[in-house]
Amino acid sequence: MTLFIDFTVIAILIAGIRQFREPRRAKRGNLTAAFALCLAFVLVLYRHGIVDVGPVALSLLAGAVAGYALARFVDMLQVPAMIAFQHGVGGVAAFLVSFVELTRTIQALNLVSEISGVLGLIIGSLTFSGSMIASAKLANKMRPAPRFLPFHNYLVFSNLAALAAVGIATFFASAGVAFCFYILEILLGTCFGLLLAIRIGGADMPVLISSLNAMAGFAAALCGMVIENQLLIAFGATVAASGSILTYVMCKAMNRKISRVIFPSYKSRQAVPENKSETTVSSIQPVQVRRESHDATDGFTGAVSIMRAAESVIIVPGYGMALAKAQQEVAALAGELTAMGKDVKYAIHPVAGRMPGHMNVLLAEAGVEYDMLVEMDVINNDFHATDLVLVIGACDVVNPAAAEVEGTPISGMPILMAYQAKKVVCCNFDRSPGYSGVVNPLFEQPNTIFLEGDARKTVHRLLQLLTGDTAPQETLIPVFAADATDEAVRILASAKSVVVLPGYGMALAKAQFKLVELTALLEKRGASVKYAIHPVAGRMPGHMNVLLAEADVEYENLLEMDEVNPLFAETDVAMVIGACDVVNPAAREKEGTPISGMPILLAQDARHIIVCNFDDKPGYSGVPNKLYENKKTVMILGDARETMTNLVAALQNFKV
Amino acid sequence: MFNLILMVVVFLVSFVIGYLLISRVPPLLHTPLMSMTNAISAVTILGALILFSFPTSLVEKILGSIAVIAATFNVVGGFVITDKMLKLFKEKKKIS
Repeated sequence: MTLFIDFTVIAILIAGIRQFREPRRAKRGNLTAAFALCLAFVLVLYRHGIVDVGPVALSLLAGAVAGYALARFVDMLQVPAMIAFQHGVGGVAAFLVSFVELTRTIQALNLVSEISGVLGLIIGSLTFSGSMIASAKLANKMRPAPRFLPFHNYLVFSNLAALAAVGIATFFASAGVAFCFYILEILLGTCFGLLLAIRIGGADMPVLISSLNAMAGFAAALCGMVIENQLLIAFGATVAASGSILTYVMCKAMNRKISRVIFPSYKSRQAVPENKSETTVSSIQPVQVRRESHDATDGFTGAVSIMRAAESVIIVPGYGMALAKAQQEVAALAGELTAMGKDVKYAIHPVAGRMPGHMNVLLAEAGVEYDMLVEMDVINNDFHATDLVLVIGACDVVNPAAAEVEGTPISGMPILMAYQAKKVVCCNFDRSPGYSGVVNPLFEQPNTIFLEGDARKTVHRLLQLLTGDTAPQETLIPVFAADATDEAVRILASAKSVVVLPGYGMALAKAQFKLVELTALLEKRGASVKYAIHPVAGRMPGHMNVLLAEADVEYENLLEMDEVNPLFAETDVAMVIGACDVVNPAAREKEGTPISGMPILLAQDARHIIVCNFDDKPGYSGVPNKLYENKKTVMILGDARETMTNLVAALQNFKV
Repeated sequence: MFNLILMVVVFLVSFVIGYLLISRVPPLLHTPLMSMTNAISAVTILGALILFSFPTSLVEKILGSIAVIAATFNVVGGFVITDKMLKLFKEKKKIS
């Protein structure tokens, strides 16, 4: 009977997963799986009972609230990092359960349970640390590039050997010693996860995250072996299967063996990151971007006339689109093209992005219907009959060298046959090779128009030109970040009085320390620097004060709103860092908005305004910020901490 | 012994059925799939609960509670995100 009920629950879970074969039913599938898990939960409560209800109930509540809250606030860009983080947390649960089961003395475990328990410790702890690294890399809290320690391979293998040795030793040790050994296994497992994850980076991320998915499943199944529970084993095994499939699919799509991803060779990778870092640095080097933005005008006109003439268009998005957050613009452009009667489709390469299906999620978020998203094998038959292919931030996945040249890292990798189309328009950041380091001949083809620069701005411009709405270009297209940085540095270098207006964005970007470096530099140049603190800036009363105090700003320099507002008229530069609503002039000028009548910091009175915000979207209130449209305003969009770093570097090198 | 065989069989059968079904999931849904299986992998919550079905020492109570919190976080967060994500997937309205 017990078995029968168990199998019913497992069947419900499998039914849920089965519904994932169709997008329309997937949502129900998810709920079905959740229901199966709830059933299993109730079943365990009923069968085993709980001795200490208090702590269990509290923990359940705490975990549920935290999980729910975080899930609500996460947006689709953060999803890969969030999933990796959850894998890590799941890993913690797995190794803790194994640990307590192994060490508790109430019932003796048999050999199988013990072996599973030790394996559970190892896999749980390596899932934990590996996922945390993956999550940090995906969230850009850590440099995503692969990192190699000296003798990395030796470290990995000796760690593995130590894991095995200690693992075997536990079976011959007395209870007390075994206890220590178990803890040692957890530590070694954590190290092992770290060692594996830190040297996987960039485009190999989907493989790492998929294999961690499989690991989490195995850890759960092993937990099940320890406590001899069918439900745990079956649920864990399904996850393990899913993770394994995804890992396999990702590897195949990148033409890489799993062993090459996990044990990348130091030499072959070495050349590529060099290359890569140059391309990423170029985003802050004004020279390169500006040179290209001039002669790009012809490209735009050409691209638009091709778009007008084309009857069939295929859009190929890549990770560059995600980086530039261009998906909304791309969707708008595609919408416009469809409205003009053209046949528009998206070609999705299985490994485009940083996790399986990444592009699909981003485009879905931008409102693209999923029937427009076509997978590689299907759409590859269509390219040769297509008038125009629009590549947005994709490189290796459309590199014909994969099919034509032998002996490169991508040789034999399946690609999207974009090169077969009649015309190609590339909206990539630059022409440098992608993650593989292989030069992309597609960019140099005679029928290719290459529009260099930030994809969001490029696509936006294309859309404007296409709809004939070319007039207010300056206001609609924010200045290139590099140009803006230049401009800002010029203003700052000659400023005598600067007022900094920090907001929650500064806290989010943890920009306060770099900001203080910048202000120190300004003070050294003879400027007076004050901070204007709005009472509700941040997420708690006095939040900004605490953050700035932590960064060693003297509190005399932190001025309250009423104190500082009269000073703005005499101020050379008002520098807004991650603040929006608290500096929005609309609060005073417009009636009937959520912020109407709210007292604000009068940044608009200053002679120059520099805004270092993440984007030009409205703040929490949803009211568009009129300050952004002010003629005196220089906008530097992007992560505030990076902006500060760039400004510091540029100001140090600034010569009149 | 029977138990061991049963466990291995359960593992293998679930793995194979899972494998067969999941290999037919379209790439379109790979992220939601991973997100959902992520939530399912927190089935360790059952193990954490069972820890509390016997009288526990203080250390066990603390570790067990952490395990319950971690697993619940994972389950709830995973299913909620997946649901949120799947709501974004829209089908084109066929105009005929």
